[in-house]
Amino acid sequence: MSANVSGVKHTRGFDVIKPLSVSVLIAIMLPLVLLPLASIFVFGTSNGLTSFWNALVAPEAIFALKLSFATSFWAMIFNVIFGLFAAYVLSRYAFWGRNAIIVMISIPTAIPTAVAGFALLLLWGPYGLLGRYLPPDMQIMFTPYAIILANIFVTFPLAFGVIMPVLETMSRSLEEASATMGASRWQTFWYVTLPSLRGAIVGGALLTFARAVGEFGSTILVSGNLAGRTQTAPLYIFSKFNEGQVEAANAVAVVLALFSFVIFSVLFFARDWLEAD
Amino acid sequence: MFEINGGAAVHVISLSKHFGGAAVLDNINFEVAQGEIVVLLGASGSGKTTILRIIAGLEMPDTGRILLHGKEVTELPARERGTGVIFQSYALFPKMTVAKNIGYGLRLRGRSRKDIRKKIDELIELVHLEEHRDKYPAQLSGGQQQRVAIARALAYEPEVLLFDEPFGALDAQIRTRLRKEIRELLKKINVPSIFITHDQEEALELADRIAVLNKGMIEQIATPFDVYMHPETEYVATFLGAANIIPGYIDHRCFRCEDISIDLDDEMRFSNGQAASLVVRPEDVFLRKPENLIQKYQPLTDGIVDEVSFVGAFERVSVRLAFIHDKRMIVTRPKTETAAFPLTIGQKVPVGVVRFRVLPDNNREPVQRSSSAAKR
Repeated sequence: MSANVSGVKHTRGFDVIKPLSVSVLIAIMLPLVLLPLASIFVFGTSNGLTSFWNALVAPEAIFALKLSFATSFWAMIFNVIFGLFAAYVLSRYAFWGRNAIIVMISIPTAIPTAVAGFALLLLWGPYGLLGRYLPPDMQIMFTPYAIILANIFVTFPLAFGVIMPVLETMSRSLEEASATMGASRWQTFWYVTLPSLRGAIVGGALLTFARAVGEFGSTILVSGNLAGRTQTAPLYIFSKFNEGQVEAANAVAVVLALFSFVIFSVLFFARDWLEAD
Repeated sequence: MFEINGGAAVHVISLSKHFGGAAVLDNINFEVAQGEIVVLLGASGSGKTTILRIIAGLEMPDTGRILLHGKEVTELPARERGTGVIFQSYALFPKMTVAKNIGYGLRLRGRSRKDIRKKIDELIELVHLEEHRDKYPAQLSGGQQQRVAIARALAYEPEVLLFDEPFGALDAQIRTRLRKEIRELLKKINVPSIFITHDQEEALELADRIAVLNKGMIEQIATPFDVYMHPETEYVATFLGAANIIPGYIDHRCFRCEDISIDLDDEMRFSNGQAASLVVRPEDVFLRKPENLIQKYQPLTDGIVDEVSFVGAFERVSVRLAFIHDKRMIVTRPKTETAAFPLTIGQKVPVGVVRFRVLPDNNREPVQRSSSAAKR
């Protein structure tokens, strides 16, 4: 009897839970995320690729995309450097008010973007708290600089938020070892601390950039939405749609959607590569 | 400025440090000679890590001085001291290869690429890591990482090597092997070294001298043999190896406890009535009448065998002493002894010692001769 038992092969019934739960997952995502995205591509190319291309290379569309990328780039540069600096200071030194500063850095994510834009107007606008003292030829509101300012504000804590936890969990003995071996603070930061932050810096930068490119609420208030001058890509989509030029709006929307897709693929797949030794 | 004779590589002079009112270190003094291995042994919180960090320049003492090869370094920052620290977790730079980790100190010193390469080759050979040259720390075993950490510290010819519990992260079998390897290596390169550990076995095996730390003070600093055989304080006796402690007092060059009376050598100077303890290692207790023992034998009292257990190479016996209520002595007996004189629980045996120490007990007040007798 027992000899026979050892020969019996174990079979397990078909587990219905696994395919079912995956199906439910996709079924939920389909109308909420996947279909809206798909329709951008379907509509964008419905009149043929030529008309899609013509809509895309329209001077105002090209300008809007360039402006979005340029203003986002500078906001990203600023916020990564600031985030790195802030994370280093806040993780290395304990001082009174440290937590208050951390909260303040994080606040901009919790503020509605329209409020952020409005706040900037109240400060830097022609009648704003500080803006009223600026000479007319140095006004920054309704210029690309205002867009950079708004982008910096709304993406302020993103890079910091990615870099800070990595710095906080980094073993202090790495930096101490470097010091006992003869390194100055700067050498230690450059050769030891910074290489370990590579992944966090790239991640934080991409996140900031992606978020800034899509910024709408604050930009529409501070930029003035002047086509060919201060109109970013999301504003262009909004304006063209309002004017009934769905195809023009759609072409730029396709570019932005593809762009986000690329950024998040890089974030997802490059992470391992960046973190690896 | 400060001329210290003897030419010791490291001088630690009256180091004290307080933290929030409590003394972390209290007047620490010791020296390390060129090529000597000193182990700071103590429980956690004994201040040993603080001493190491002060020597490395990672912490400042309240008072006291550090001299490295005769040069005062107390005020110098860590990077100007030239110490080599082997951290508990090794602290290898994760984004640098083995070779780059080892060359880091030389790179900071602006040596030429050729010099650095040569030195790296030399050290990699010394610590037997030839095949791992271009690997990253995460790809190495704990023992290999430790060897990289040592090579990395040796590269810039440090004034002293400081080891912060270097074996803590390794498993027991590797630990014993690495201890031997590292001791051989350190003796070969003749660098003064300070280890800190809480592991007495490690201390006995590694050290030329052991400094036993307790509550920020050095209780004793001596060779492993002396610290084990001639402990100067009760703490040292119990921290290094097991010891039976019998509290008593001094009475006219005699140690007394109830009906025990042991004559003391003249050189042991105690004052009359001083509280003292009889300290006996388990292996120095003898549970039968001596017939032809060559060692000097000191009878104590009678006892009753309480428990007999076999622990590997030894038999461990617990004996309840007749004269003090509930006082037990732990005795270890080698196999030859257990075979010739087997013991059973409940058996009455004479208890004597072949080697003992009588140490002053500063925690207890001196005892009046009469008060002790009245206790019974």
